[in-house]
Amino acid sequence: MSVDEDSRREDALIAGEYALGLLEGEELLAVRGRVANEPAFAAQVAWWEKELANLADGFAGAEPGAHVWERIAAEIGTSEAPPSADVVDLTPRLRRWQWTAALTSAAAAVLAAIMIFGPSTTAPTPAATDTPQIAAAEPLYAQVPIGDTGLRLDVTYVPKSETMVIAAIGLTPDGIHDHELWLVPADGSPLQSLGVVDPGAVHSMPLPKEIARNLGDGVGLLLTVEPLGGKPEGEDAGPVVAEGTFAQV
Amino acid sequence: MSDANADTASVARERLRAAMMRLAGGDRAALEEIYKATRVKLFGICLRILGDRKEAEDALQDVYINLWQRADRYDPTRASPISWLATFARNRAIDRLRTGKVRGGAVPVEEAAPLPDEAPLADALLIDAENNAQIHTCLGALDGRTQTHIRSAFFDGFTYAELADRADVPLGTMKSWIRRGLQKLRSCLEANA
Repeated sequence: MSVDEDSRREDALIAGEYALGLLEGEELLAVRGRVANEPAFAAQVAWWEKELANLADGFAGAEPGAHVWERIAAEIGTSEAPPSADVVDLTPRLRRWQWTAALTSAAAAVLAAIMIFGPSTTAPTPAATDTPQIAAAEPLYAQVPIGDTGLRLDVTYVPKSETMVIAAIGLTPDGIHDHELWLVPADGSPLQSLGVVDPGAVHSMPLPKEIARNLGDGVGLLLTVEPLGGKPEGEDAGPVVAEGTFAQV
Repeated sequence: MSDANADTASVARERLRAAMMRLAGGDRAALEEIYKATRVKLFGICLRILGDRKEAEDALQDVYINLWQRADRYDPTRASPISWLATFARNRAIDRLRTGKVRGGAVPVEEAAPLPDEAPLADALLIDAENNAQIHTCLGALDGRTQTHIRSAFFDGFTYAELADRADVPLGTMKSWIRRGLQKLRSCLEANA
């Protein structure tokens, strides 16, 4: 048996010990670190968790006190606006949703537009500010099919919470490129980056007002291929590989 | 299992899956729906692991608030929602146990409150897993002693040290029993995947 095979078997055992909850102290901390940093190991843990979850029917149910829901409801807030705790907690996972210079630098956005549409069609006028296109109350949904691979991005915008959910299920990272998603405002103003797509994952994120106000029925989306991390600041955007259009749900 | 039960289970599961997806979009009503359908199961898990009603209620609150804040972690294509939630709740309860304050252990009978009418719903959600899961067969194929210890780790949240202590054997002995068991379990599960 090869060394690789040996260490894979050993890892599978450690993953099982961890998933069962047998470890404690420094050993537990070390394994937790591996789960966070080694996708292959995390996958082994996930495999055990999924298998072990089938034992969960052996847990007898029990009714919690009514105050538990009251506390949860109080914590998540009852107003229409998303709770601030939510926003704070969302921040770490925005790591891969780097808002690019397009948001703050019109120049960079214009460059991106030039690159994508070619010089002939460029004259992206600055955004006609303060004219929200459609203050839609209903969620918007767009599919961005990727070639004829059968794969696609699903993008949903929930106006009530100003949250966008981007599902890139089925996509896998190639390790060399990232895909960046762009909003094409209907008024011809510069493209706005919606960030780098996280393959295989579903993400939700709050949208800044500058972007949210451009969302509406018929607004377009473009997907470009970029170096890892997304379009480098000051450089042209990469080739467009897919597009989609928002429609009201 | 009758077809009617299977239908109930699959409808309940799809409803829950849909609610989980709506949750990712920030829909508060979805959280309440999920809470109603799953609280009995998830509280049962927290209570068994933590062995203390108040601690278990705190853990349960933490589970749903965390779920609300990080709903995007659930991948609807990969796991049944109730299995995923059960794993999530168990992991949170065990984290709580390992961070120190709680002692854990078996729950006294008088702490178990009577179950509400919705209780069967959570069970219906699990019907598929219950009937089809290979892990029951594979676990059952292990020797009785190993089986007991692995079950005890899963249901009571005991560590290696606690299991060794309770069985009155050296830590190394308990480790090698369980590791051998896990090895067999994995082979069995993979062979029948």
